[in-house]
Amino acid sequence: MNAVMMVVVVLLPIIFGAPIPLLPFKNRKQMAFYVESVTLVTSVLVWALLLAQPEEAFVLFHFTGNLSVSFRLDGLGTVFAGIVSALWPLATLYSFEYMKHENHETYFFMFYVVTYGVTLGIALAEDIVAMYFFYEMLSLVTLPLIMHTLTREAILASRTYLYYSLGGAAFAFIGMVAILTFGTTSVFVPGGVIDLAKVGDKQNFLLLIYVLCFCGFSVKAAMFPFSAWLPKAGVAPTPVTALLHAVAVVKAGAFTVIRVTYYSFGTELLRGTWAQTIVLGLTIFTIVYGCSRALKETHLKRRLAWSTVSNLSYILFGAALMTPLGLVGGLSHMVFHAVMKICAFFCAGAVIYKTGRNYIYELNGFGRKMPKIFLIFTISGLALMGVPGLCGFVSKWNLAKAAIESENPLAYIGIAFLMVSAILTAIYMMTISIRAFFPGKEFDYSTISDVEDPNWMMILPLVIFVIAMFAFGLHSEPVMTALESIAATMN
Amino acid sequence: MNSWILIPVFLPVISGIFLLMAAFRKHPENVQISAGERHRLHLIVGTVLLISAVLAVAAVWTGEKSLTLFYLMEEIPIYFHIDGISRIFVTFTSIVWVCAGSYGFIYIQHEGKETGFFGFFLLVYGVVIALDFSGNLVTLYFFYELMTLTSAPMVLHHGSKGAMIGTLKYLFYSLCGAYMGLFGIFFLYRYCDTLTFTSGGTLNLTAAQDHRTILLIAVFVMLVGFGAKAGMFPLHSWLPAAHPVAPSPISAVFSGILVKGGVLATIRTVYYIVGPDFIRGTWVQTAWIILTLLTIFMGSMMAYREPVLKRRLAYSTVSQVSYILFGLALLNPTGMTGALLHTVFHALIKATLFLSAGVFILEGDKSRVDELTGIGKRMPKTLWCYTFASLALIGIPPASGFISKWYLAQGALQGVQQAKFGVFRWLGPIVLLISALLTAGYLLPVTMKGFLPGKDPRYQQGTPGDEEPPGFMLVPMAILAALTFIFGIFPNPLTKYIVQLVSGLM
Repeated sequence: MNAVMMVVVVLLPIIFGAPIPLLPFKNRKQMAFYVESVTLVTSVLVWALLLAQPEEAFVLFHFTGNLSVSFRLDGLGTVFAGIVSALWPLATLYSFEYMKHENHETYFFMFYVVTYGVTLGIALAEDIVAMYFFYEMLSLVTLPLIMHTLTREAILASRTYLYYSLGGAAFAFIGMVAILTFGTTSVFVPGGVIDLAKVGDKQNFLLLIYVLCFCGFSVKAAMFPFSAWLPKAGVAPTPVTALLHAVAVVKAGAFTVIRVTYYSFGTELLRGTWAQTIVLGLTIFTIVYGCSRALKETHLKRRLAWSTVSNLSYILFGAALMTPLGLVGGLSHMVFHAVMKICAFFCAGAVIYKTGRNYIYELNGFGRKMPKIFLIFTISGLALMGVPGLCGFVSKWNLAKAAIESENPLAYIGIAFLMVSAILTAIYMMTISIRAFFPGKEFDYSTISDVEDPNWMMILPLVIFVIAMFAFGLHSEPVMTALESIAATMN
Repeated sequence: MNSWILIPVFLPVISGIFLLMAAFRKHPENVQISAGERHRLHLIVGTVLLISAVLAVAAVWTGEKSLTLFYLMEEIPIYFHIDGISRIFVTFTSIVWVCAGSYGFIYIQHEGKETGFFGFFLLVYGVVIALDFSGNLVTLYFFYELMTLTSAPMVLHHGSKGAMIGTLKYLFYSLCGAYMGLFGIFFLYRYCDTLTFTSGGTLNLTAAQDHRTILLIAVFVMLVGFGAKAGMFPLHSWLPAAHPVAPSPISAVFSGILVKGGVLATIRTVYYIVGPDFIRGTWVQTAWIILTLLTIFMGSMMAYREPVLKRRLAYSTVSQVSYILFGLALLNPTGMTGALLHTVFHALIKATLFLSAGVFILEGDKSRVDELTGIGKRMPKTLWCYTFASLALIGIPPASGFISKWYLAQGALQGVQQAKFGVFRWLGPIVLLISALLTAGYLLPVTMKGFLPGKDPRYQQGTPGDEEPPGFMLVPMAILAALTFIFGIFPNPLTKYIVQLVSGLM
């Protein structure tokens, strides 16, 4: 497998996705076929790439001096690219059914496919400049997807998203400059590239920049106080909310945070400093903050979005522990949360698509009318709560293990907050399931006689996710071994 | 091969799931089933329950066995190990479950949704047996959480608003407790040699040396968390909310068995993982004893002033299960013996009380204590069962409650000398005594007014015994009530067995 393949997988969706509105499709089916083929081919190529694990880098182009955009596949990139490439074809399949009733489908699918390439670009970027480039691009190409319905609410939401993202990118830019200034190289190296001789007595200044950079990148991961854009972005069509705002975009945020923490600044430099205390404190607070907001939210998708806010901070919490074990914990939650949350969102989407109901109090008795959807929704809820046997338990276990191993008192508090978050998760997920399955004695089922399960295009991805949740939960060893081998390069 | 011990776990679970699927297909859900279908249902449930119960009891009484199912994570197997503690728990669980099931055949006919009810009833039985079989802390936690999730819909059976609130309260209190337990498990995983249950504990004292404070905090959090299921203050208030709204056979297994899940988890944590020596004499023991004594007293007081019979019994459970926890908190062999004896006796007694309360509700439509005046004229046999169980719970010799309370008081006098705080030496027995008086005060008025209604003409109507329930309900109650006395009159085999078991632990 040649290193050129890395450029191919990034450019293929962009080149073939961009002209979708111009192509002369005879009907909807043809377009669907075209879109799914592009996505699937890309995914297959990515999998081939991940299996081959090419060692060498590929430089796409030089800006100036040592600033270049280059690609290289390493362990961390493998994890992120693996998640994205596994979920994208399934989400695309789901969106064909979902988008049936929406307008400007061609534009939607154009940006949907292009985003795939850009996200892979983040995963495969070899240096901070390339990653920053794709990170900015991601903000821009996903903006039209939020705006898709062109309602006032959607436009306001996309504006908020834009401001938050650009602001975050600006802070991230400061971090990038610092890395270029104080680092030996712009390339990501496990353990960090900061040259202490260059830093000299400006260590506190560098830590301040790290905190700014962490906050900048975690805007996409919706860390408090930068989380408000995510629930608002829930006005986008569900495939966007599910794939981008539960997996691709937000995890790109977490991914970039891990990159700068473990591969640029280096944990040696950061561990035990006030900078770690600040970022750890912020993530711990967000874990509970997100859950509490989810609890008081009555809009189904917005509740799930707040839940994402909380869960993304699990990943950041693992990352902010700044130990190899913390990285393992964070990455395991990155993988498992992707499956759990996309599954929950797709269930929510199925409800919205089939019935047009958006609010939780409208879901009484749905469990009997949409048994498959609500059974799957309940399973994903249980997984998010961390019931043993499902994948959420494994990542929680690993996070807690890492926190205890770090012997940082703040991390101990973090475990307590994880548990508080678990009980809050139980409340906001289980109340929906109980409402749906047990609407009460007097409930009149004739009021929801129009409700039924969707067709196989929507169910199939869900069933695959459920199998994955059980498989990861009951047999997590292969995944964990892979993640541990990534963390092992840190020492 | 030991794999046959999986049958009493999986047979009820799988048949339960099948029944639930069958119940789900029936729509709309409140449909009444025909007599033929009901007969078939009873046959299936009865057979499955009996086979599983016999196999479960056979499994525990034929020696120690271990079985590794699979690895949940690296180094963390789902692992069954049957030892002395599982023997006790499985045995009384099976007795109470079969009795409550037989009672439920008739009782649930009046409530509807029978298939679904028995689906959950079997499912939870399998999970509880698995909980009792658990051989390490993670397995225990796994089934502990499953027990919470599968038993919650049983409370919801009525579908009324009150039932919904009771269910949610039960669910979230239990989950909160379970997560507090999990918090501690994380720390124990780090500082114990293994999470497999080992007599005397597995805490690695050299590794734990520098982390004593955080470990003690973790253990205390676990004790409070598992105490939620056992109804210990401050997480007790789900009991009075959930019990009155659940159907009576469910209240019986909740109070008799499921709250004992919390007791089991506490025993396993303290005596098999952390080790009693680590806690003895620390602030954790002090705080734990204070919480249990407070719960004993408060539960009895609340029961005393509660007018609704089933809620009164629920408060009584709050109080009585803390007797057990008090015995465990003393961390000496005598207290532990008393605790285990009380676990068994309380299960039998409380099941009897709830089943008879169910008869009052079902046949007489009476849920408040003051409505029960003269009930003994109409259902003397039921009221006799109630009375026998009450006497046992108060602890009047020769009933069984006397034996366990004797050991508990003995343990209090002994154990407190070992640990340096003398105040519990007299406070413990005094609280037990006051609580016993209160127990008499809240249980016996039903009997007295029931048999001796006075001259009020309203209570003289009806021929004696005309509202007595059918045999399927009466016989299980009678068996349970008789057992509470048989264990009191012939306590030696059980006491000897438990003393021997406990001496191996400490």
